[in-house]
Amino acid sequence: MARSRTALLVLLALLAAPARAGAAQDSPFRTPGMPRAPQPAANPDAHQDPSQTSRFDSSFNPAFSFVVDTALDHTSTDGGAEDGFDARLRVLEFSAQAWVDPTAWAYFSAAADEDVVEIEEAAIHYTGLGGTSTLRAGRFFNDFGKQMQTHVHELRTLERPLVLRTYLGDELAGDGLQWDAWAASGDATVVRWSLGAFRSLLGESEDEDLPAAVVAERKDAEDMHLTARLTGFTEVGAAGVLQAGLSLRAAPDYAFTYAPSGDTVEGLENTVFGLDLTYGWNDASGLTRWTLGGELLQIRGDVGADVTDVGGDGDPTNDTLAIVDDDRSGWLAFADYALDARTNVGAQYSAVELLDGAGSRAGELELYYTLQFSEFHRLRFVASSYESDLDDDSLRFAIQYTALVGAHGHGVNW
Amino acid sequence: MSAPRSALLAAALLALAGPLFAREPLKVVATLPDLADLTQSIGGERVTVTTLCKGSENPHFVTAKPSHLVALSRAELFVQVGLSLESAFVPGLLEQCRNPRIQPGAPGFVSAGQGWTALDVPAQLDRREGDIHPEGNPHVNLAPGGGRHLAARILAGLCRVDPASKPDYEQRHAALLLRLDEAEARWKALAAGWKGRTLVVYHKEYDYLAAASGLTILGSIEPKPGIAPTPGHIAQLVAQVRAHPGTVLVSAVWSFDKHARELAAQTGAPLVELPNMVKGLPGTDTWIAMMDFVHQRLDAALRSAAPAPKAPPSPAGG
Repeated sequence: MARSRTALLVLLALLAAPARAGAAQDSPFRTPGMPRAPQPAANPDAHQDPSQTSRFDSSFNPAFSFVVDTALDHTSTDGGAEDGFDARLRVLEFSAQAWVDPTAWAYFSAAADEDVVEIEEAAIHYTGLGGTSTLRAGRFFNDFGKQMQTHVHELRTLERPLVLRTYLGDELAGDGLQWDAWAASGDATVVRWSLGAFRSLLGESEDEDLPAAVVAERKDAEDMHLTARLTGFTEVGAAGVLQAGLSLRAAPDYAFTYAPSGDTVEGLENTVFGLDLTYGWNDASGLTRWTLGGELLQIRGDVGADVTDVGGDGDPTNDTLAIVDDDRSGWLAFADYALDARTNVGAQYSAVELLDGAGSRAGELELYYTLQFSEFHRLRFVASSYESDLDDDSLRFAIQYTALVGAHGHGVNW
Repeated sequence: MSAPRSALLAAALLALAGPLFAREPLKVVATLPDLADLTQSIGGERVTVTTLCKGSENPHFVTAKPSHLVALSRAELFVQVGLSLESAFVPGLLEQCRNPRIQPGAPGFVSAGQGWTALDVPAQLDRREGDIHPEGNPHVNLAPGGGRHLAARILAGLCRVDPASKPDYEQRHAALLLRLDEAEARWKALAAGWKGRTLVVYHKEYDYLAAASGLTILGSIEPKPGIAPTPGHIAQLVAQVRAHPGTVLVSAVWSFDKHARELAAQTGAPLVELPNMVKGLPGTDTWIAMMDFVHQRLDAALRSAAPAPKAPPSPAGG
């Protein structure tokens, strides 16, 4: 009986060994060459916190959040082709972020609209270089001007300003590396700069009937797409802050391709320059605020491509591309007034020279009223008017309802 | 060289070299002017204190400025109330300033509200309760006993980062406690007649004051912390105030707005504007002066709104 009890204990101990390994983040057993996962502490029983020793729970969970951004709108156009009401989920954004060691934190932000799920950002911030330097690697929104850095649901109006959409795309996210740092100048001025190198910073066209910008996957160092930004902000009086910035986005090598005919033009380049100026003022309570600002952009080089209908036969399969090698400019200006902690009204206007060969023009005016019910959800009413030499003019009324859940935040908008 | 001449020379050398060895004042950054005042009282000339928040602001909605970032990057000691009071602007500033001396857990980081027995600690964290703080009501700076608590934590922080000056800090702290003893006695005397009286507040800032003074808070103009009042909620408050004659309406500097005035107009109850931080109103330049001001102004309002004494019962058949 005693022997059988001992044998039973030995058997239980043998069974418990792999079970214990299984509780760790590694596998219950290992095959040759298998990647090694982080090992549990030498004495896992020494503390109650399983932390990263378990695959299925962790006391070191990152902060999670999600954003639901919805809109109901009515559009009327001159042509009448796209008139009527629409209701849609503009975006569902899901984010997580956490420190991974004393010098680095990582995050991701995925966004889904009605059709696609997209990784908007997934990056690591490394702060161990010392001083105020940060090295960022992965996919992230680029440092261009004030409003390109902002996620769509955090903009002060419904859409990203026309000039930014036209020259930089709805979002300027890239896969790459960026270094930034800041320095104080006196007691109330901060200067900050950044430099980034990316695989591609050109927006992808979803419409196959339009020319698409294409970037080679492998390229020489000088062909990497670049961003640079220099900005300074300083206090003006007791209640004002003035910020000025210079930005650059360079695409030194790319191609245009036209899917219906297969025509491709390689060896193209363009550069976007930006100048931004923002002034914020708040009253003694800090709740009533004025924010005034503007951005001026110029794009130079091979800015776009027109499709030439060869022979005028209407057959796209023999069409060719005519590259627009020119300069184009555009600007935006806005005024935002916060009546109190919960209510904002404002206007934003943007005018732009479009990227077609004829240098057509377009302008967009947006008026908005935002009601912040609490820190975590808001209602916005927007009226916008769009006028263009190329497209139908339109008038749009929209109601946007947005809710933030969890530990949401996209960092400082430098 | 004779002994007196040597002594004279040594004294002259010391006098000349003194400034070379004089230590720069300790650079302290405090979130609230209340903390800045208490720190200055304890630190004296051994500290220079920069304040992030203005006395007239709502500490939940402070806009970060370049000078905040610069001051934090150079600070040797950082003092906040904590309890999530400053969570709107402090975490981002601390992250960006890259000053390891004042990061949470470092010797130069002081959460002065730590250890305070907080009211309104939520049983359940749920945003249906509004912009609540997981650690409870964070407005420790408006508690009559708050100065004493905050000062003790600040003293510990100063001694931690500047142990050489500990005797000086302790001496000044002891002097501050004496002033607090006197002030607390004044406040207690003023509040002696407040027991059983009722208030309606705008935001849940004055709960510690009410609890210490025997005042009852009937309700708040914000239905929940951080939530804008609705017409229905205001109507409910109007009924409550009318049912409790003698109620005083209390707003802070930042919340002295149309909702408070509308409630006062509808009920006839006096509306009193109180500072919620040092320097929020004239005559509140120190923490003790601010709390004196709060007690005096509230006392005046409560006296002016005192309900008429009930008429003695009529004699039978009279």
